[in-house]
Amino acid sequence: MARYQITADDVPFAREFMADPFGYRSPGLQRVLNVMRGLGPQGKYVILCTEPYRRWQLARLPARRGEAIEAVEGVNYDDLGTAERDVFLRRWRDLGGPELPLELLTMRR
Amino acid sequence: MLSLIAYTNTLSAAPGETIAVKVGSYGARTYRADLRRIIQGDRHPDAPGYKDEAIALDLGGERVARHQAIRAGSYVQIADRGNVLAELSSFTLAVPVLPTLIGDTERTIFHLTGIGLELLIDAEGRACAKLGDARLTLAAPLAVKQWILLILSFDKGELCLSALTRESEVIAAGKTSAALSRNAPVAVMIAARAPGENHFDGKIDSPVLFSRALEPLEAVARLALPQNLSRLPDLVVFWDFSRSIDGTEVIDASPHQLHGRTAQCPARAMTGWRWAGQCQDWRQIPELYSAIHFHADDMTDAEWQTDFEVTLPKSLKSGLYAIRLVPDGDEAQAYHCVFAVRPPRATASGNTVCFLLPTVSYLAYANHRLGLDVPGTEVGMGRLVEIDRHHAFLQEHPELGFSFYEVHGDGSGVFHSSRNRPVVDLQPGIKGFLGGLGSNVWQLTADTHITGWLEHQGVAYDVITDEDLHRDGLALLRQYNVVLTGTHPEYHSLQMLDALQGFVDRGGRLMYLGGNGFYWRISFSDAHPGVIECRRSEAGIRPWEPGQGQFHHAFTGEYGGLWRRNGRPSTELAGLIMSSQGFDLSEPYELGEAASDSRADFIFDGIDRTLGRKFGAFGLSGGGAAGMEIDRADFALGTPRNALILGSSKKHTDIYLMTPEDMLDPTPDMSGTQNDTIRADLVYFEKEGGGAVFSVGSIAWAGAMAWNKYENEVARMTWNVLRRFDKRN
Ligand SMILES: [Fe+2]
Repeated sequence: MARYQITADDVPFAREFMADPFGYRSPGLQRVLNVMRGLGPQGKYVILCTEPYRRWQLARLPARRGEAIEAVEGVNYDDLGTAERDVFLRRWRDLGGPELPLELLTMRR
Repeated sequence: MLSLIAYTNTLSAAPGETIAVKVGSYGARTYRADLRRIIQGDRHPDAPGYKDEAIALDLGGERVARHQAIRAGSYVQIADRGNVLAELSSFTLAVPVLPTLIGDTERTIFHLTGIGLELLIDAEGRACAKLGDARLTLAAPLAVKQWILLILSFDKGELCLSALTRESEVIAAGKTSAALSRNAPVAVMIAARAPGENHFDGKIDSPVLFSRALEPLEAVARLALPQNLSRLPDLVVFWDFSRSIDGTEVIDASPHQLHGRTAQCPARAMTGWRWAGQCQDWRQIPELYSAIHFHADDMTDAEWQTDFEVTLPKSLKSGLYAIRLVPDGDEAQAYHCVFAVRPPRATASGNTVCFLLPTVSYLAYANHRLGLDVPGTEVGMGRLVEIDRHHAFLQEHPELGFSFYEVHGDGSGVFHSSRNRPVVDLQPGIKGFLGGLGSNVWQLTADTHITGWLEHQGVAYDVITDEDLHRDGLALLRQYNVVLTGTHPEYHSLQMLDALQGFVDRGGRLMYLGGNGFYWRISFSDAHPGVIECRRSEAGIRPWEPGQGQFHHAFTGEYGGLWRRNGRPSTELAGLIMSSQGFDLSEPYELGEAASDSRADFIFDGIDRTLGRKFGAFGLSGGGAAGMEIDRADFALGTPRNALILGSSKKHTDIYLMTPEDMLDPTPDMSGTQNDTIRADLVYFEKEGGGAVFSVGSIAWAGAMAWNKYENEVARMTWNVLRRFDKRN
């Protein structure tokens, strides 16, 4: 469905997101997020509640009903903001986004 | 994952009545049951704390958990009588079909058990007939979503199968030699080989059997004139799906009267092969609604055995309860069968406050898979989809059946939902998809913010369910001064709306503590106990449409869709109408001039009502009192002239968009930061005769009530209103 392609023009929106993964968005960031969050269902990133409201694990949705959700081993989060930032960077890469400045990549955790 | 799931035979029982509990093991070896009263079910660290209460009632000790399977898939079953079918020596079966899914597996259209005759679509999508050991497959695969007429005949050792278009053009034909022999009692299955086996997805239109082999064109000519069939001497059966559309009976219009029944609620009142737009309402020309749409994943009755029964003590007070099942001694893994203990049927409880548990809306969302099936759900949530163990279980067990938010495997909409099956999201303490940043709870668990608050305030209250309201009407509400709704009472039958409207028209007081309320029409049917039907016609925020010509419910003939389009906009009852939805953040209301109106004095008792002040800028559901799904006052759409708009939310994120029914001509300014219609209004109005309505127009309101352990201005305002509403003038 999504037509929009992430380019170097979107780097400021990555900066905006990494600074605050929740809240009001600039129209440019909203457009980037619409592309990222509309992906799936096959392989879509979701988070498993491993300890209610305390700990989450990255996982990916299967293609079809009835198939199991696949946990990504070793990728756990202690808060939702960290999960959002990590998945944003994964999707940025998956969607062919340009290299991001190191200071954004290190904001992951 | 869940190691044990269960359901009860009812969602509402009076003291002294008996509830049957049906349990299925999905890994658990044993379990113990107890009865709990549910008080507050949100487990977020900032919530007031999970709270329930053990009821001293011995439900027996440890029990062995046994597996009970669920066989999804709808079908029609007919028994032979008088050997009408068993003694066939030659025949023609003529049946129009419109397959919606082909491939992967064989899909049975018609099966005459005991004779071994079967008409099916094979795994490659080709029409195929089997008789004894003979197998006849047509060369060309069938197209999906197109009518095709299948004519299967047998005479003197020769089996012939032809496929024709609606225009009588032969697409494919073939013949083979075969023998007819009977080896078991004869019965008919339509749309499955056997229950749970090789189900068909798509429409089947009124199959006809003749007692001799007919040329395909002659058979098609006969199908085109169904009114003449019953007088043909060689007619054996004519299962006329256009009769008894509202029930489970399948009528044989031949003189033999080999009637049958549907199982698992396939969609009826569906356009047949001769419908071409002649009418839109099946009641006008029922004979054009001669098809049934079957789905391999239809599920309205799990048909489980009862494991034990619970007789409720006669002294048990009305409330929200659950039979808790603890598998293998692990309380953290408990499964809850939630139900209401309604007040006694014969006598008034003496309580004057009533919480209306929105069980119809719970069923509308039963086992919903929005975060699993629909990628765009994350866009609407504004953050990652969270999966808890009930979601993981749902993903692996689609046979539990769907909610009104899903499509079937063939892409068609889910018209039916049922309580006769495990509903794994009807439990306290579980995660939602749409509950907003914070607790992220939805429906039942969000509604326990209200029951928890009632307990916190020490209110004596009754709990009744939507189904109680539908059955008992205003007679059930008469004893109350105040009715409180849940957070999201979205779906209503006409009888439910009439009862609530009649209540406020006769002096009753309504506290609508939710959002997107009174939005969709549903129907109940005595022929389908525990099942509701919903057809989302024309407008509304909806995941599917019912298909052209199929907007009227089969259960009742009612025109489905929004109450707004059915002459009963929610403004009439509640003063508000659905405005927008977004599942990320919530906002405060900003107080308006009407907050200082003397009629609102009691509402603001102890609350600062400075014009423009932000009210309710906190909460467990998105961080504000106004959000998730929000309603506005709209005088042009029926909000009473005397309604006081006490406050309004003034901005929302751009995830909040205008509804399709408001968005007549889309322009790029219809989102939450730009458009003034996207707001929640806080409304109060009085009615002649002493009735009054307080409406919050927001799903997030109750999440704000529960903030800071119910000590805050939103809870305070709710209390001010309840206290006043409960006093009769
Ligand atoms: Fe809704």
